[in-house]
Amino acid sequence: MRRVLILLVLLSAILPPGCTRPSTETGGNKKLTIAVIPKGTTHEFWKSIHAGCLKAAGELSAQGTQVDVIWKGPLREDDREQQIQVVEGFSSQGVNGIVLAPLDNRALVRPVEEAKRAGVPTVIIDSALASDAIVSFVATDNRKGGMLAADRMGELLGGKGKVLMLRYQEGSASTQDREDGFVEELKNKYPNIQLISSDQYAGATRDTAKRASENLLNRFADTIQGIFTPNESSTAGMLLALEDIGKAGKVIFVGFDTSERFTEAMRNKQLHGIVVQNPFNMGYLGVRTMVEQLQGKAVEKRIDTGVTMVTPDNMNAPETQTLLHPPLDQYLK
Amino acid sequence: MVAEVTQNRGWLVSGLVQKWLNWIGPILGLLLVILVFSVLMESPGRYLSAFNLRIVLAQTVIVAIGAIGMTLIIISGGIDLSVGSAIALTGVITALGLHSGFSPATAVVAGIAVGGLVGGVNGLVITRLKVVPFIATLGMLGVARGTAKWVAGQQTVNVPDTWVNGLLVTFPDPAWLLVAPGVWLAIGLALAAAIVLRNTVFGRRVFALGSNELAARACGIATDRLKIWIYALAGLLFGLAGVLQMSRLRQGDPTVAAGSELDIIAAVVIGGGSLSGGEGSIFGSLVGALIMAFLRNGCQQIGWPNYIQEIIIGAIIVIAVAIDRWRSSRATA
Repeated sequence: MRRVLILLVLLSAILPPGCTRPSTETGGNKKLTIAVIPKGTTHEFWKSIHAGCLKAAGELSAQGTQVDVIWKGPLREDDREQQIQVVEGFSSQGVNGIVLAPLDNRALVRPVEEAKRAGVPTVIIDSALASDAIVSFVATDNRKGGMLAADRMGELLGGKGKVLMLRYQEGSASTQDREDGFVEELKNKYPNIQLISSDQYAGATRDTAKRASENLLNRFADTIQGIFTPNESSTAGMLLALEDIGKAGKVIFVGFDTSERFTEAMRNKQLHGIVVQNPFNMGYLGVRTMVEQLQGKAVEKRIDTGVTMVTPDNMNAPETQTLLHPPLDQYLK
Repeated sequence: MVAEVTQNRGWLVSGLVQKWLNWIGPILGLLLVILVFSVLMESPGRYLSAFNLRIVLAQTVIVAIGAIGMTLIIISGGIDLSVGSAIALTGVITALGLHSGFSPATAVVAGIAVGGLVGGVNGLVITRLKVVPFIATLGMLGVARGTAKWVAGQQTVNVPDTWVNGLLVTFPDPAWLLVAPGVWLAIGLALAAAIVLRNTVFGRRVFALGSNELAARACGIATDRLKIWIYALAGLLFGLAGVLQMSRLRQGDPTVAAGSELDIIAAVVIGGGSLSGGEGSIFGSLVGALIMAFLRNGCQQIGWPNYIQEIIIGAIIVIAVAIDRWRSSRATA
């Protein structure tokens, strides 16, 4: 018995002070709780999505429908089992809807279908899911993004040369589509550009991407004229590797996604173009679509959130600036 | 055991009640965790619902089956850090088997067998090469993980739909099962393992080995052969855990379960296992696994951030072991 008492005292002592209970009913309005589950929480990409979700929640609440957004990523980023557990946890917790960016287009099918069975619908954002049991798919047209990159590459290389592509990670549908779009556009419109390497993967982090880039550059640095990488971490890793061997600026480099580092690199002519998504819009439309579905309105099955090629020439225009610097501070306190 | 007890100051308890307290301890810990969360939550109805219970049980199975095998190893005085990698490797092997068109039964048996093989190799390295278990299994952690990535071609292996995919679902089919078939499997294996440990010569020898290896050898126990058997047997269980993990993901993922070895060892330790050998119980390990699963689930339902979860689990491990040390030092006073 004493052991139990001690355990009780110790447990209550380590509980975080000021932990608040989640509120339920507010006045007479029905409150909607939407769980948003990203692939990870550290990339600025996810923070932009978060800000977009909060903007949508704020707007909807001001219009009369109280919307609460719960933001939770997997405990270990990029761990499929952990993301599955988060989805399962929310479906039994009784949230009204889930907005999910699945780590894998197959592994997350069962939990999403079980959630639907338990009465919790899901909107998929960013990466596709191999299931019809979803409300809508709100994402970038990734294939088009890859094609824009190929066009930029072709333009800058004058239609001929040797290029390589470093892929991101297996199972990630979004980057797979970009890679496919790039390869296809090169083949169709730039037959004189040779893709000499396209089977290497950068891995989940900037660190693994840098290592993979170093290995690739070791083999091909002297033969290539252009490089394409399909997401933020692979672009960052490749940029670091290029700087390390002093080749930054000497090859045409087209990347994907934004960061402060990339805009600086574009000014320094080390990066010649980045394909920019609109994650802020993704979070915003994801939450809005979910709420519309819950209110019984019809929603589109596939919503395109937009993709833009940002180059050193157009990066200072105001619309491009909003894409590059979404108003995070305004929404993320 | 009886001699220790009669030396207890002022405790007129017989050896039987002492053993009963050993059992009750972990269960009380579990009830305490559930109680604390129910009190803190505004609507504990969902946390305590049958639906949530089904989810938590299914989420615990993989760690639980791993903990059964790990209990054997830890009681015998050893340790196995390669369990996470073994889970990944066996999952990939099973997935490859299903993908290549082998019958589900064959693929599952192959996965389990590979687990036993990995365990057997661990045992051989420990006994023949005289490498301490920590280092031997640390090496296997890398070898097995790398082999998994190699065999899978550095990507996930998707599987066709078979009965294997239905082992850890939230809505079991047929519905009279109440919980997923995998949960019943884990319970059955736990009972079998507990009976073997308490009532067979093999079980007695495992305890003897962990308690005092030299004395065990002096008593005529073939300790080397026993060790190989223990690691191989545990390996078979880890192989089964890998098959079930694959079932949950519906794919073989060579990156899964990284860090699971710590969860599994924590479950055994919270349940009363001692890392110096000679002590442990299957029942305690299962309860330890349940405590961690309910903790994770509760933290998510309350809305605490991920890092709180990690801190609490780490603290609980230390507290549980500290209480155990204190209790056993009182018993031998």
